[in-house]
Amino acid sequence: MTWELFAVFLGSSIRLATPLLLAGVGEMVSERAGVLNMSIEGMMLTAAFAAAVGSWATGNPMLGLLIGTIAVQPVALLQAVLSNTLRANQIVSGIGINILVLGATTLAYREIFGARSRAEIPGLTKVKPPLLGDIPVFGSAVFEQVWLFYAGIALIVATALVLRYTSIGIAIHAAGAEPKAVDKSGLSVTRIRYGCVLFAGFMASLAGAFLSIGDIHTFTEGMTRGAGYLAIASVIFGKWKIGGTVLACLLFGAATALQFQLPALGIAVPNALLIMLPYLLALLAVGGLVGRQLAPATLGEPYRR
Amino acid sequence: MNTASAPAEIVAEPLLSLAAITKRFGSFTALSDVSLDIRPGEIHCILGENGAGKSTLCNLIFGVHRPDAGAMRYRGARFEPSGPADSLAQGIAMVHQHFSLVPDMSVVDNVLLGREKGVLNRKQCARQLEQLAVDYGLPLDPFAKIEDISVGERQRVEIVKCLIRDPSLFVLDEPTAVLLPDEIAALLEVCRRVASSGRAVVLVTHKLAEIKKIADRVTVLRGGRVVATSDRPAAEIDALVRAMIQGSVETLDQSAASILGLEPVRHVGHDSGKQRAPRAKIEALQIDGLTVKDYQGVTRLDNFTLTVDRGEIVGVAGVEGNGQSELTAVLAGMMSPSDGRIHLDNTDLTARSPKEITAAGVGIVPEDRHAVGCVTGMSLAENIYLNRLDEFTRFGFLRRAALESEAATLMQRFDVRARGPGALFSSLSGGNQQKAVLAREITLPNLACLVAAQPTRGLDVGAVAAVYSHIRAACDRGVAVLLVSSELDELLTVADRIVVLYRGRIMGSCMADPDRREAIGAMMAGQPQ
Amino acid sequence: MTTLPPQPEAAANTAARTIATSGFAIRPALLVPVLAVGFAALIGLALIAVIGVSVPSAIAAFVDGTLGSPYAMAASINRSTVFALVGFGFILANRANLTNVGGEGQIAVGGIAATAVALYGHVGALPLGLSFILPMLAAVLAGALWGALAAVLKVKSGTNEVISTLLLSFVGVWLLYWCVQSPALLRKPMTSSATLPESLEIPDTTQLPLLTGDYSFPLHIGLPITIVIAVVVAVLLSKTVLGLRLRAVGLNPVASNRAGISYARTVIFALAMAGALGGLAGALMLLGEQYTLKDGFSSGYGFDGLVAGLLSRGSVTGVIAASLLFGFMRSGGINMEMVAAVPTALVVVIQGLIVITLAGATLFIERWERQ
Repeated sequence: MTWELFAVFLGSSIRLATPLLLAGVGEMVSERAGVLNMSIEGMMLTAAFAAAVGSWATGNPMLGLLIGTIAVQPVALLQAVLSNTLRANQIVSGIGINILVLGATTLAYREIFGARSRAEIPGLTKVKPPLLGDIPVFGSAVFEQVWLFYAGIALIVATALVLRYTSIGIAIHAAGAEPKAVDKSGLSVTRIRYGCVLFAGFMASLAGAFLSIGDIHTFTEGMTRGAGYLAIASVIFGKWKIGGTVLACLLFGAATALQFQLPALGIAVPNALLIMLPYLLALLAVGGLVGRQLAPATLGEPYRR
Repeated sequence: MNTASAPAEIVAEPLLSLAAITKRFGSFTALSDVSLDIRPGEIHCILGENGAGKSTLCNLIFGVHRPDAGAMRYRGARFEPSGPADSLAQGIAMVHQHFSLVPDMSVVDNVLLGREKGVLNRKQCARQLEQLAVDYGLPLDPFAKIEDISVGERQRVEIVKCLIRDPSLFVLDEPTAVLLPDEIAALLEVCRRVASSGRAVVLVTHKLAEIKKIADRVTVLRGGRVVATSDRPAAEIDALVRAMIQGSVETLDQSAASILGLEPVRHVGHDSGKQRAPRAKIEALQIDGLTVKDYQGVTRLDNFTLTVDRGEIVGVAGVEGNGQSELTAVLAGMMSPSDGRIHLDNTDLTARSPKEITAAGVGIVPEDRHAVGCVTGMSLAENIYLNRLDEFTRFGFLRRAALESEAATLMQRFDVRARGPGALFSSLSGGNQQKAVLAREITLPNLACLVAAQPTRGLDVGAVAAVYSHIRAACDRGVAVLLVSSELDELLTVADRIVVLYRGRIMGSCMADPDRREAIGAMMAGQPQ
Repeated sequence: MTTLPPQPEAAANTAARTIATSGFAIRPALLVPVLAVGFAALIGLALIAVIGVSVPSAIAAFVDGTLGSPYAMAASINRSTVFALVGFGFILANRANLTNVGGEGQIAVGGIAATAVALYGHVGALPLGLSFILPMLAAVLAGALWGALAAVLKVKSGTNEVISTLLLSFVGVWLLYWCVQSPALLRKPMTSSATLPESLEIPDTTQLPLLTGDYSFPLHIGLPITIVIAVVVAVLLSKTVLGLRLRAVGLNPVASNRAGISYARTVIFALAMAGALGGLAGALMLLGEQYTLKDGFSSGYGFDGLVAGLLSRGSVTGVIAASLLFGFMRSGGINMEMVAAVPTALVVVIQGLIVITLAGATLFIERWERQ
């Protein structure tokens, strides 16, 4: 394998991992606080659709991105209300939202674009960072990415710092591990969890927008294809820590990139197996074959005083 | 001493006063027409046995619940906290019976939770903790993780969390249940210092020894009502006890009396005072070199060796968290030891499944009945026979009628009060639930050994007496009993022999003699004798 | 030693937490699912109006698709049996507090196994109905294996079965894709580049016999099979010791373990059963209706069965009712798309709304049931 091909592989891995990174870190924060969002998939799809339509309608991908992030907040709010206030089963309500979003986005897309069209949509631009981008052979292939990737890195670093060094960070941790302690110290468990779900929604919206207007500049029905669930698996793989989650997402991205890489190398593996690979990896990850899992103690349980 | 509900004459303006407070949970009335007042600078004890309503009272003061009737006044104004945040803001701080600490966070982080905004200043907090340690005698390692420190130290963190907020009213709910004897003394000293700085301390307890030592005033709760108050508790202790249990000390079952900390403890063993011929020494349960590591590889039980004879009650003393849970879990077949063997009458039970262990004749009354002992969502009958369902199976079908009628018989025998054998287990009171669990274990067809872990925790004296009469009856039949308890007085009264666990090791053993109380206490604290 | 969860399972895993001990009882809160369906249907009608289709014509097309002809009715009932089987599997596993979300993958592997045995298992000439029974059994085994995989992960590592069954579902669906794409597997011999990626048609003797023998009313033996299974599941859940053990493990696996009920065996049984029923559903689809293995044949069926299971709140009659509803809704939806140009995605929207409404209403249902 030549260095050029390897560079392309790395670049593809990063590109394919980006939505997982964004969604995964957001979901990690929410799960640390004790709320499981199966609906990350639905939130991503909502944003993918809204950003695509917004970008197409206004001709401006930035506006499309904005519309995408705004459109997800009601969905995230719905999940937050279901999980915290109505104390609904978090898995059922999450799956319900995914079903609803799948139907709604498909319906809306058909109505706006017709059944078969694949409208060309203005997309987000790529950036080439100054030093890294100039490395021979690797620079362009690996580091020239949609600017949203770098914005995402910044967000992830900021999230890590907030979780570790600020009061809201320990409150989030406590809300998932021992919500009683949070309650008895005068803070509101509900408010913390609401905030975390909305944050997960925000990150998922960036991920979804990336999928449609960042990566392939179009929208297809159900285009998230399980990426949301991979994000959830990456959190488990990463043992609810940022470092591990990021690593897991990169791994899943690389596994997906193999789909294009191996044929380019002339290695004939059935396409279906390659498509399956990230899910198999995720299974290995959650199957504890890569280490024991220690979830936040109250993950999935609504808090009752 | 007043046995009416009218408080004594007011000397100073009360800090907190409750008037005719009533609180219901569904159809159950936890508190009824409770009135009392707390004065600044006093140590006010709320005395009552388990189930009398003490914790509910604390939760009302702290704003966790709201009263259904009556009014509270704090510093002269109406006091209606909508949550802990309100009470904290007013200067009320509470140390709960069950700690609310985040296990994998440090002491400093736990103290900082909810107190600061923005970026944390951990160094400053650590300095404040060191100052408090000097002022009140509460040494702590600020950066240790909660899961790594002892129970006594965790309680100090809870206390520090309160004191750092400079409260005017300091409430402690059953604080001494988890402490070593000299830690108890240290805690009482902390209370004295807090009170002498002008704050009010409310100490909720069922231990009379503590009342005698530091209470300025006492309010006695029974069945959710105030039944007595006293300004001179040390002198009126007998009357207080009578009010608390509605009976006299003399008629009280000795084992039940022991959990109230009535001194002196008369050793009775399980003979209930009757003279018995010395029994033949036949070894039943033999534990040899048992070592248990938890899933992180930390040794929780180290080379534990013990023999229990038929008809003998051996007590395992020690504060919670020193290996008792692991010992019980291994004996029950819920955990595998990394080393050592367990034999019962020459049958090897090491690392066997719970089913095999039960079949061999080992009954276990677990320390946490809700987690391990029973399925609260199922009926009483289903719970009692959960480990013997095969006896009620025909071609795979459940013979429900037979199940329920057998359960009803058992209910009679063990005085388990419930709406019927089909009643939901969670609808039973704590005492009745424990009696049911005990009934299940003691009526095992070939019971040879009974392991009872904290069997009387949270029970009122009536239930305690019932539990011990059944245990003694089993003993008389020749069952070997291993009694694990953190209540030293209970063991001194009931057991024949005591071994002391500290950090997973046996520190020593001796006959259960009240004279050896101090020595045993020292061993519980890690000092070999 | 098997790994137990360290504390009683999180409430979140109980998809429809029910205090029911009987599989046949009709819950007093039957009203809420009906209301949820009604509410979602109203929204659906509103959406039809929004996209500019005339509501009466849409409704007419819907009704025509469901009851308009014997063929449509039979197709709807056949569809309902598929949902019902997945739903039964769901409530069975759910009794042990296990949430099986992998129906689609289990249907897929069931279909693969049934097709493989029907085409290449030399069963075509076997007597006594073995020609179609054996492929069905193969499907049941395949589905059971798929469910058991998730169970083993749960028992050994404490893996949340929602995630594992879901991921396995994706793997199963892509396995199906591979099988019909690859001539080395199940793809029919490629005579030209236009040969569709699907299997050969299964021989007549391996197809499920029709109840009436009349192809204009193609109701096959899947219906009586499903009815029998319904009775078995209902009795199992309410009257047997096995059902009681499932319930005990679901409520408190630690205490049940202490009482001698093997956590591992119970979990594996529950999820394997759920998978087996999913596999059987796949067999019914292949051997009863489609006769050819195609990519994506299971699409949506798994989730429909899942929703039927959720709607039923643990009762077999609930599953039957919900399955019939969805079976007919699907047929109606297909006709609505063909005739009235209403995308079938609308039906998906309605289903999503039903699930969300029900999930949000559990708090009120429980308070109501307690009184």
